[in-house]
Amino acid sequence: MTRILPKNKLDDCIAAWQKAGFSVLAPVQRHGMSSFGEVQKASEMALDLILTERTIKDHFFPQTEPLIKYKISKHDIDSETMTPPERKRIFFGVRPCDASGLEIDDPLFGWDYKDDYWFRRRENSVIVSIACSEADDFCMCTSVKLSPDSTRGADVMLRPLSGGNGWQVEAISERGTALCDTVSSLLQEETAQAAPLPRVDGKFDVEKVMEWLADKENFESRFWKDISMRCIGCGSCTFLCPTCHCFDIQDEGDTYQGIRRKNWDSCSFALFTMHTSGHNPRNAQSTRWRQRIMHKFNYYQGKFGVNSCSGCGRCTRQCPVDMGITETLQAITNLPR
Amino acid sequence: MGIQEQYRSEAAELLSSGEVKLVIGFGAGSTADRRRPLFARTPEESEKLVLDQNCIANLTTYLVAGGLLTDGKKVAVFLKPDGIRSLNILIAESQVKAEQVVIFGFAIENNEVTPLEGRSISDFAKLGEKLRTATPPPSVQEEAERLEAMGSSGRFEYWKEQFSKCIKCYACRQACPMCYCRRCIVDVNQPQWVSTSSHTLGNFEWNLVRAFHLAGRCAACGACDRACPVNIPLRLINYRMGKEVKEAFDYFAGESSDQNPVLASFRQDDPETFIL
Ligand code: SF4
Ligand code: SF4
Ligand code: SF4
Ligand code: SF4
Repeated sequence: MTRILPKNKLDDCIAAWQKAGFSVLAPVQRHGMSSFGEVQKASEMALDLILTERTIKDHFFPQTEPLIKYKISKHDIDSETMTPPERKRIFFGVRPCDASGLEIDDPLFGWDYKDDYWFRRRENSVIVSIACSEADDFCMCTSVKLSPDSTRGADVMLRPLSGGNGWQVEAISERGTALCDTVSSLLQEETAQAAPLPRVDGKFDVEKVMEWLADKENFESRFWKDISMRCIGCGSCTFLCPTCHCFDIQDEGDTYQGIRRKNWDSCSFALFTMHTSGHNPRNAQSTRWRQRIMHKFNYYQGKFGVNSCSGCGRCTRQCPVDMGITETLQAITNLPR
Repeated sequence: MGIQEQYRSEAAELLSSGEVKLVIGFGAGSTADRRRPLFARTPEESEKLVLDQNCIANLTTYLVAGGLLTDGKKVAVFLKPDGIRSLNILIAESQVKAEQVVIFGFAIENNEVTPLEGRSISDFAKLGEKLRTATPPPSVQEEAERLEAMGSSGRFEYWKEQFSKCIKCYACRQACPMCYCRRCIVDVNQPQWVSTSSHTLGNFEWNLVRAFHLAGRCAACGACDRACPVNIPLRLINYRMGKEVKEAFDYFAGESSDQNPVLASFRQDDPETFIL
């Protein structure tokens, strides 16, 4: 016997959660793009998508975020710190790779100081993951030691029933248990099989990759130039990545009033490392691409003991020139040693 | 011999004779129907060139990236008619020297690839006229008409929704052969002329900058539209700007390589309706 959430009870769940003060966000297809958006009804959810084009990262680390409002007058300086609203949110139908992405980024945002903007949102959010029942050519969770039903970063894990009419429910965290309690009358005890997980073949050997990257000899290798020749240096792969987290602080306004903002930035951009003098230590796309790979599979590992990739495959799926990290890591795996 | 084999062996010859330093074409991609840009520097590498109905990218972009042509050497490139049109624009704007580019031209019609005759841009003089008089694809024309019918406030709402999706990844700019500026205006940060924030206003700013800078210069190759990861129909903006330029100046960008760039030149009879 397992706890089941029948599909036809989903609307009641949403209503119960809303009554308990939560906003419910789920995969939606709106204005020709899939992302996480607020829903009122189950019929608005696009739960059949393998993966949304945008990640849930957007709701924890938005592309632009106001930090401080300032106003300078003759005698005073007024400033107001702007913090994200204390809104309780449920993310329903998160894929395991996206949920893992949040957990991968937690140490980064809490390392030298605690980033209130990230953690307030984290603490007010409950992640309800749904195990995948389908994968595409770009999915690579298994290559980074995760899986289509990985519970990392999830508060509740739902496994689709083979009949397609509901989900097995497993509370992972305390927050998840509490969330299940709010809808306990809607859950049923049943014996129902979970649908088989999709097959996600290993695409590269991450241990081999890490070993090669750790070898300082390879930093100046020709490999980087050859592999990144077609990269056009856009920010797609970083901005769509659930774990990429770089940002820039910008003041918008003038000397007398304005807003200080935290805006996404990307190591793919030449401007990212441009010095005031005009000198750019990463002056070629190949050095920027190397940075992206090194950051994810070497530096991040060294600092936080985990790789900064959850295997969602978006960087390949969405790259305008069919690059992405998969090819690079495959090529490193296959290099003669 | 099929066109793929013919072009492969010609590419190999060009490389082995030293006529060109590089062949930019297509290679197999990460899935059965994806193709990716391929750079062949040796006759052996040209064996990997693929040419079929999935080769839709505009490779002209690479001609103006990273100072590729600054050494004066020649490069061969696989181009569809829209790619040839964009090469015309680049030559007209003095960004590429015609004699440095060998063209492997091809057209895709009804999923069939056919070769285009000629190897140098001057061989394609008739193509411009054909492109100018061609009807745009239904994915552009029908959508454009739908937008037209919305009226200005409806269109404003439509674009507000679309631009609110923008993440300022600049994939549209990076994919565009005409965005060759060494420092794009949005990257000019001393001072920061255009805000980097990706809120709706900032996104409007960026997309308007792009629209205006491409007016009378866009080859309608669709590279920006395909590159946009959040599916903003940029083709509709380009189409509309192209139409404006055609109506105001009777000008079709990329019709030939010796055009005077429309917004960088003037004629006595240019309309002056905007001058008070
Ligand atoms: S790998 Fe692709 S998505 Fe990433 S910067 Fe390069 S061209 Fe853009
Ligand atoms: S690096 Fe690529 S595969 Fe890994 S999490 Fe980021 S977008 Fe997904
Ligand atoms: S948007 Fe304008 S300034 Fe920027 S690269 Fe394109 S043409 Fe140049
Ligand atoms: S490619 Fe799309 S999302 Fe990226 S900057 Fe251009 S319009 Fe915005």
